[in-house]
Amino acid sequence: MEKLAVFVDALSRQGEHCIAVRLIPEPGKSLPAWDAGAHIDLHLANGLIRQYSLTGPPGGTDHYLICVKNERDSRGGSRYLHNELRLGQQMEISPPRNLFPLEEADSYLLIAGGIGLTPLLAMAEELERFKQPFELHYYVKRRSHVIFRERLDSHFAYGRCHVGSGCEGRSPRTTLPEGLTQPAAGKKLYLCGPEAFMSHIRNRALDAGWRSEDIHSESFQPPARNIPCTQIEHDFTVTLKSSGMSFTIPPDKTIAAVLQEHGVDVPLSCEMGICGACLTPVLEGKADHRDTVQSETEKAGHKQQITLCCSRSLTGNLVIDL
Amino acid sequence: MMNKIAPPPHCSFEPDDWLRLAGYWYPVARACDVGNAPQKATLLDEQLVIYRLKGQIVVARDVCPHRGVPLTLGFQEEEGIVCPYHGLRFGENGRCNRIPSSPGQTIPAKLNLTTFPARERYGLIWTCLAPAQDTDAPLPSMPHWDDAGFQQITCPPFDVAGFAGRQVEGFLDVAHFAWIHTATFADPDNQEVPDYSPAETPYGFSVDYWSTVGNYPASAEHRGPGGFKWLRRFDMYLPFTATLTIHFPGESRLVIMNAASPVSARKTRMFAPIARNFDLHVPVEDVHAFNHKVFEEDRLMVETQRPERLPLDLALEAHIPADRSSIAYRRGLKKLGFGEFFLV
Repeated sequence: MEKLAVFVDALSRQGEHCIAVRLIPEPGKSLPAWDAGAHIDLHLANGLIRQYSLTGPPGGTDHYLICVKNERDSRGGSRYLHNELRLGQQMEISPPRNLFPLEEADSYLLIAGGIGLTPLLAMAEELERFKQPFELHYYVKRRSHVIFRERLDSHFAYGRCHVGSGCEGRSPRTTLPEGLTQPAAGKKLYLCGPEAFMSHIRNRALDAGWRSEDIHSESFQPPARNIPCTQIEHDFTVTLKSSGMSFTIPPDKTIAAVLQEHGVDVPLSCEMGICGACLTPVLEGKADHRDTVQSETEKAGHKQQITLCCSRSLTGNLVIDL
Repeated sequence: MMNKIAPPPHCSFEPDDWLRLAGYWYPVARACDVGNAPQKATLLDEQLVIYRLKGQIVVARDVCPHRGVPLTLGFQEEEGIVCPYHGLRFGENGRCNRIPSSPGQTIPAKLNLTTFPARERYGLIWTCLAPAQDTDAPLPSMPHWDDAGFQQITCPPFDVAGFAGRQVEGFLDVAHFAWIHTATFADPDNQEVPDYSPAETPYGFSVDYWSTVGNYPASAEHRGPGGFKWLRRFDMYLPFTATLTIHFPGESRLVIMNAASPVSARKTRMFAPIARNFDLHVPVEDVHAFNHKVFEEDRLMVETQRPERLPLDLALEAHIPADRSSIAYRRGLKKLGFGEFFLV
């Protein structure tokens, strides 16, 4: 994967917990064009790779804009960005990739929870540019958490924007957009936010008669206990120390599943990262821990172990002691 | 006389595990049951005699240094306990203070009992067979026991024909209430276990478990305010002692200590000190009876689990989300270096 060099051009506070980061290319160069819903990988100096949705008006090749929430239980990515990022700092990013593109439709309903606004704001900007009708519903715990407030306050000509604040009694549990109860042919629903939020909205939408192929979502968290992590999965390879054999782990399969398909014996028990039966030492590479059985100390320790049933890799290859 | 201890003959534990287990404190008797007669106890296959003399508690091997007769077959007089075979008498600190057949003879040190440190706490007598030279293992602690307004109750010991590890894991288990404890306090229709997270502590781990499972006896008329969330705070002191603090509505608190004393690999004597700051008018006999009933409900499960040992290799049994405490328990024991406990 090629990398692009960028510089931190601006940092701004967005609501109580987030910062927006504006990235610009090296002088004389431009950045690849992008569409709403796209994301980039940030290669952090601490060795972590994190994905962030691009936000703001799509297309621009002179800068990229991302927004990062300071996650209370950060696994190192958001904390690093909040604590270490400096203006003028050089960073490496991947070119944009889009796994959450806007599809053709007559009208659009965009529903965002918290930091999930970032890709949907880019969608709103794109729809505005193409004069396509849309509704954007943005839910936050309290008004002080709103990001890109100025942009939202300055209104869209082709879309309506509603901010619902849980503390003022407008949470997705109590107040759902009217448009959600009125599915129609040619209407598409786009969701982004915490897992529980999205499954709640999705269930309500299905109850109201939406077709599942008209519901599109991108999650920022795995289903297990809201561990903050971008959910755009990548291929990586796992190499067994004993045989030297390597296996490709696709986004939709666990390490354990791939190994079992190839006749490798994996000591599975819970298959959800709670028991540690399949913990295996990592000899090379960096595990992306998705389990809830190891303590933070263990996850950050020198001798790393990985749960084969649910964890993934932050590096292209992992060598494990199997 | 303290000496380097080795696993006793016919020990049912793996020797390495036995030595590791012997470094912790376990209760061996209720303080109120040690009066003016030698008391028998078995801990980790070691036969013990416990006696109280001039205010001092002595815990020693139940073997007369002279010809090996158990001193618990003897009796107690003012100056010590007397061996039934030749009348040798043992007093403070287990020292031999009389040889009836040679009254004028200086008594050799070889005739003193092999004693173990003893402490009286939470209404129990605690001992440790192999105290570490440098740091003393801490005694487990029990919330509220010494607090004003709390009544202290020490239930009679409860014998289980099973391994201490299995018994303790059952005490920590929050998913079996609706299946096993329906005649005492649980609601058979309240089966779901909300997620919870054990947190490591220097002595093991602790868990705050919030649920709607009440703790009033099933027969009680009122079962707490509607929708009340009960907090059960578990503190696990590895290897075999746990406390449970139940937050009743208002300021009412009930603390139960589950101190499982490993008699052998397949036998456990469970001691249960209880502290509470409400229902103080209820006779302690009723509390004894209620808790006995709860532990009795668990008996069949704990005594029939297979394998009898606790599999510390987590791949050997299946685990569900409600098991976070027992997973933390097994990982904690493994971290301390314990192996299989016993194999045959």
